[in-house]
Amino acid sequence: MAVEKCVISLFDDETRAASAIEALRGSPWKLERVHSPIPSDKILNALKLKKSRVGYFTLAGGIIGFFSGVGLAIYTGIQWNLIVSGKPVVAWIPFLIVGFEFTILFAVFGNVLGLLFQTNLPEFQSLRIYDQRCSGEHFGVLASCAEGEENKLMAFFQEKGGEARLI
Amino acid sequence: MSGMTYAQIEQTVLHTLRPAPLKYWAVVALTFLGLLIGAGCWAYQIAVGIGVGGQNIPVVWGTYLINFVFWVGIAHSGTLISAILYLFRAGWRNPIARAAETMTVFAVCIAGLFPFIHLGRVWMVYYILPYPNERTLWPNFQSPLVFDVVAISTYLTVSSLFWYTGMLPDLAIVRDRATGLRKRIFQMISLGWTGRHEQWRHYTRAYLFFAALATPLVISVHSVVSWDFALGIVPGWHSTIFAPYFVAGAIHSGLAMVLTLIIPLRRIFHYEAFITENILDNIAKTIIFTGLIVGYAYLVEYFLAWYSHNIVEQESFRWRAFGHYSLQFWVMVICNTVVPLLFFFRKVRRSIPWLFAISVLINIGMWYERFVIIIGGVAHDFMPNAWGLYSPSIIEYGILLGSFSMFFFLFLLFVKHLPSVSMTELKEGIHQGGDHGR
Repeated sequence: MAVEKCVISLFDDETRAASAIEALRGSPWKLERVHSPIPSDKILNALKLKKSRVGYFTLAGGIIGFFSGVGLAIYTGIQWNLIVSGKPVVAWIPFLIVGFEFTILFAVFGNVLGLLFQTNLPEFQSLRIYDQRCSGEHFGVLASCAEGEENKLMAFFQEKGGEARLI
Repeated sequence: MSGMTYAQIEQTVLHTLRPAPLKYWAVVALTFLGLLIGAGCWAYQIAVGIGVGGQNIPVVWGTYLINFVFWVGIAHSGTLISAILYLFRAGWRNPIARAAETMTVFAVCIAGLFPFIHLGRVWMVYYILPYPNERTLWPNFQSPLVFDVVAISTYLTVSSLFWYTGMLPDLAIVRDRATGLRKRIFQMISLGWTGRHEQWRHYTRAYLFFAALATPLVISVHSVVSWDFALGIVPGWHSTIFAPYFVAGAIHSGLAMVLTLIIPLRRIFHYEAFITENILDNIAKTIIFTGLIVGYAYLVEYFLAWYSHNIVEQESFRWRAFGHYSLQFWVMVICNTVVPLLFFFRKVRRSIPWLFAISVLINIGMWYERFVIIIGGVAHDFMPNAWGLYSPSIIEYGILLGSFSMFFFLFLLFVKHLPSVSMTELKEGIHQGGDHGR
């Protein structure tokens, strides 16, 4: 198996970074990842990514939460089994309030879990091949190439206006 | 903020995290002392009994419940600014959102303490938890007090997670500029965030859902708090307007507290370039709006009492304005509805001393609003032979002092140890291509 080399290029402008990402698509080199200090529309569009699926986790959490909340209220009502304040043992209107709060709570749990699961956080390995300037004002594009190709890849990035270095 | 670079934003915010001068620690120590006084008063109450407070029949809900409602209210505008204004794409929220969210988290924590304090035998708190037990006792999920437990716990959890998630990219910035132990700490708490495209893709979506979920939650929480009163049959409490009235009041007091916090923050940390006069102006305009809603609610309460032909209700509201607590009532009316009208004048909205003074007055007025509602209702209800008065004891004043001290103590620690302004959102603000919630 051929040894792969990684080159990271830093751009001080998202438009140039997006243009380099577009150009990489038709090249023999592989785009590994992009780092940016802000969520950039231009870069995300250049990457042609699908919509995030975090929402499914949120939705699942919300559904589970609603039934958990209402279920808990019904269960405890039936266990106690006494009429309180003239309301039925299973009183739907008050129990819907409990259901609503549980819906939000579990939807948020789902949202956070979805985010952590989809982004693989917490994850500290990628800090080893990361340029700290990417959290400041630079947009970093990381690409890999076969051994011996790295100079070509660096020249490609430099031509696109980036500051390239081998990792 | 126009003309600023990413580097300037970072430099200004990270500068606030440098080692603090002695006077900062002096103020922290002062607030900690206040916190200790409050804790000492609570410890004394636990040792001696709930009777050391001024609550007694007929006024069994005293300052502890006033403080509870007050702090829950303060918490509300944090979510208004961070979630509701975010959904409306109001860009002016960006520089103040972090401070407002932090205020929310701390205020809910403090609010959540008061039911424990009011409980007296705080070690019995587990009775409220729904778990199988040999007494076959279960919490009554039909009670608004149990709704409150669920709603406040949810609100605390959601606002804390929202706050932390929103801070992740900024924690990574601090990590990347720090050295030594601080770097290691921020490396852990930033969870290894690197701003990778995959991270942003999911993060922006999750942030949008957070805002969308927090918005109905914030409305529901104070509605639930209002039902603690409105579902009782006490005159002055039993009203259908309580939910929107409480929500508007909560946002009113919360916005005032945001001003009280960010005006010194802006001056001390030289945030004038971020927290511009226009932003303060916008908050002041929003306060006019919430103040008018609160004023309208006060009038509607009187109208309903008159229109109902219910003599108990009418007497309750007459007594509110001219009875034993009339001073508190008029402080409430003037501070919450008349004073904010000064914001109609542009000069007042643009004057820092005026903004600060009015925000403090609104906070005082909103505390008294809860006093008037909670104390006034039960002190003067149906039966003249059951009427009675209430005044807080020294222990309650100590706990009140402790709650404010704790709030400012936590906020002071926050502003020197975590980024008090969202650098990422400010960068997005000067960058047309960015959008925190795609």
